[in-house]
Amino acid sequence: MTDPLIRMKDIEKHFGSVIALAGVSVDIHAGECHCLLGDNGAGKSTFIKTLSGVHHPTRGEILFGGRPMHFADPRDAIAAGIATVHQHLAMIPLMSVSRNFFMGNEPVKRIGPFAFFDHDRANRITMAEMEKMGIVLRGPDQAVGTLSGGERQTVAIARAVHFGARVLILDEPTSALGVRQTANVLATIDKVRKQGVAVVFITHNVRHAMAVGDRFTVLNRGRTYGTAARGEITPEELQDMMAGGQELATLESSLGSTV
Amino acid sequence: MSDTPQVVQDERVKRISPFRRALIRPELGGIVGTVAVFVFFGLFAYDSGMFNSQGVMNWSVVSAQFMIIAVGACLLMIAGEFDLSVGSMIGFAGMMIAIFGVTMGWPIWIAILVTFALCLGIGALNGFIVVRTGLPSFIVTLAFLFILRGFTIFLPQVIERKTIIGGIGEAAEGDWLAALFGGKILGGLFRWLGEIGAIETFSRGTRQGEPVVDGIPMLIVWALGLVLVGQILLTRTRFGNWIFAAGGDAESARNSGVPVNRVKILMFMFSAFCATVFATSQVMEFGSAGADRGLLKEFEAIIAVVIGGALLTGGYGSVIGAALGALIFGVVQQGLFFAGVESSLFRVFLGVILLFAVILNTYIRRIITGER
Amino acid sequence: MKMMKGLLLAAGAALMGAAAAQAEGERYVLVSHAPDSDSWWNTIKNSIALAGEQMNVEVEYRNPPTGDLADMARIIEQAAASGPDGIITTIADYDVLSGPIRSAVDSGVDVVIMNTGTPEQTRELGALMYVGQPEYDAGLAAGQRAKDDGITNFLCVNHTIQQPSLGERCQGFADGLGVELGNQMIDAGQDPAEIKNRVMAYLNANPDTEAVLTLGPVSADPTIQALEENGMAGDIYFGTFDLGENIVQAIKDGIINWGIDQQPFLQGYLPVVILTNYHRYGVLPGNNINSGPGFITAEALDKVEEFAGEYR
Repeated sequence: MTDPLIRMKDIEKHFGSVIALAGVSVDIHAGECHCLLGDNGAGKSTFIKTLSGVHHPTRGEILFGGRPMHFADPRDAIAAGIATVHQHLAMIPLMSVSRNFFMGNEPVKRIGPFAFFDHDRANRITMAEMEKMGIVLRGPDQAVGTLSGGERQTVAIARAVHFGARVLILDEPTSALGVRQTANVLATIDKVRKQGVAVVFITHNVRHAMAVGDRFTVLNRGRTYGTAARGEITPEELQDMMAGGQELATLESSLGSTV
Repeated sequence: MSDTPQVVQDERVKRISPFRRALIRPELGGIVGTVAVFVFFGLFAYDSGMFNSQGVMNWSVVSAQFMIIAVGACLLMIAGEFDLSVGSMIGFAGMMIAIFGVTMGWPIWIAILVTFALCLGIGALNGFIVVRTGLPSFIVTLAFLFILRGFTIFLPQVIERKTIIGGIGEAAEGDWLAALFGGKILGGLFRWLGEIGAIETFSRGTRQGEPVVDGIPMLIVWALGLVLVGQILLTRTRFGNWIFAAGGDAESARNSGVPVNRVKILMFMFSAFCATVFATSQVMEFGSAGADRGLLKEFEAIIAVVIGGALLTGGYGSVIGAALGALIFGVVQQGLFFAGVESSLFRVFLGVILLFAVILNTYIRRIITGER
Repeated sequence: MKMMKGLLLAAGAALMGAAAAQAEGERYVLVSHAPDSDSWWNTIKNSIALAGEQMNVEVEYRNPPTGDLADMARIIEQAAASGPDGIITTIADYDVLSGPIRSAVDSGVDVVIMNTGTPEQTRELGALMYVGQPEYDAGLAAGQRAKDDGITNFLCVNHTIQQPSLGERCQGFADGLGVELGNQMIDAGQDPAEIKNRVMAYLNANPDTEAVLTLGPVSADPTIQALEENGMAGDIYFGTFDLGENIVQAIKDGIINWGIDQQPFLQGYLPVVILTNYHRYGVLPGNNINSGPGFITAEALDKVEEFAGEYR
């Protein structure tokens, strides 16, 4: 494989006496879906926040495109192309899909000294992007509130990609969804990956991870147990690693090369 | 996962009927209400003088007054905040113009400009406190309701030993900026209408033969102008998108890079601006500023906005709707008199219509957001 | 939407009922400056109802709900637009109301000024006449009376500080005493509990206050309570403008030395009678009518007591 887009080396993050991350190493490549698995409290959200510039690591180094990464705040990270789609989607239900899609990045059209919101362009782009993702809207003025949870995720993902995300961090995008909705979101992840975007897919659902993941990293009690590529590991093994403990020894042997 | 693009469509989502589609437009309630109100008074008050030139001018001016403050309240409410200090701001702004222009003897245009600057500053302070402390704007502006009203009574009492300052009419004679607020336009047209008998003329006194309505007051021009600017700002600019976003979900908007605090502070300033326009027009028309001006106007503004389809919780509404709400408010308030109804019943009517509007709006929100 | 229509129709039915009570005679509109909360105007409402009945004319009462005089100006304009035979109104603020009143006069509506205003302003606006009690003069007369009784300072309890006409009473009283008004007038607000507490606080802070002047039942009733509570009732010199049931009782009890009666009944009743006779027979009194001041003391209370709050 080529050089990773992001390389995290022995990242530690301490909050006072609490050690949230105790040495995490992950490589993320362009065009891959990297699944980060972990049970509740494993340190997933600290990991996301460190990667997206909210927290600064206590120890360790993050390389972005081969250079050390120092983000003052999340806006820096977004500008550099690291976008996070939170469970809280940054979508406003009462507003139309098109208005949501361009919220904060509205296209403008100048008429004389005045700048107007270019609704035609916004609507056109929104419809096109949604169609690419396989969502057929009644119209660009359809309110986000009428979309299903999966569709909202898709809009949020499409928005991040449209505005130049090179790394897309998805925080439990499938956790609250039904089977069919989940399939739709996973299909979206697949499409995005094919466009060359690095996807960091955070989940605690092994089956969802196996469906689209290229590589898998398990996070447990602030540590990584290593990264396995697709085909090197079974769902049962991943499940046991997340649970952590009982069958650790046998697992380590099967992961030997990458630990 | 298959790679073929699949069309995501839930067959259980019903196609929306044109009726429901129309229903989620925020102006709908306002349009229906306006038609209903005019039909109603057309039937019950047609020959009462309500629709002669004086009568039309009367409810138009009253509606225009409501419109001016409703536009500010509407944009602010869509941005997710309230301003309860509007009424006190009207009293305060008028009083400051009177103190600057009459007591201190400044040229009226300077008095007006300084007052605008002062009131915009107070609006900004309102907004700054709200976004900084995270307190509900309800409480912060309630504080200013009392603070400003207190000063409006205190200052003239200390300075002039009375609570009404007059003489602004004389001071504003020939002032260019005063004419922009207190003047009238299309005087020639109305004189002509009077001459050909299309509108009534005064039958006696020094103005005998002149038309009873001698022009469109600038108040109405301001109202229509503000409605137009507000509507374009809200629906046609990127700033408008930010207003919706700030009121819809401030946290989400911030995450998307919308400068929510700036939007809210600017909307508080706009609300103050509208109140000051109201006050300036009133002071220039009547020639005096009184400590009791503008009492309860903040609620009238909010009621007009709610009748016009805006949600009290923010993020949804329409300036045109608010303008229609103001029109309904004005026409009903004045019309009940023409129809010969005891005036205290107006409040009953107002309460009932407000209740219906709020229920209707909540219902509409359910449709939009898909809540069940 | 169906609901809204239904509501309007229902309201319409109610309106028709209300509007059906039209008399066959002339139609007059009385526009006051009082907020809805001011009970003193009940006497005037009663008096115009009585006059309307006796003269067989229709009289409507209108007022700005919050007492906002700019709203009152709109109401006068509106009343004029409805084409009545006459308008009875006050000049609570000459600057604000002169325009609408003059327009009403010029468009052919006869206007009588009542209650608040001066004979000069009335003439200036082309109104027929003035019926009422000149506020400053009434205050001055009361002040002179108090001065004769040996008073040198006082507390004026003003419950509607926004309205200049009430302040005039205090100013007149101060001038009658020959002292500066200064801080002797307090803004008491409209709430009875607040008024009571403010009066007690003031008297506590200024124990050598010799007299209390209240400007109507709104401020007088709580002031009576305040004095009863702090034990100054009957001791401190107490005068009030206007009457009400409690004021009458207090005069009887010797708490209030005198009440100034501007006889609101006449202010409502006479304009209706005068306008009707003017329109029917073309007769008009040759001068303005002062309905007050009349000083009411414990000696002459019978009639007052009988009709207090209703016609007195």
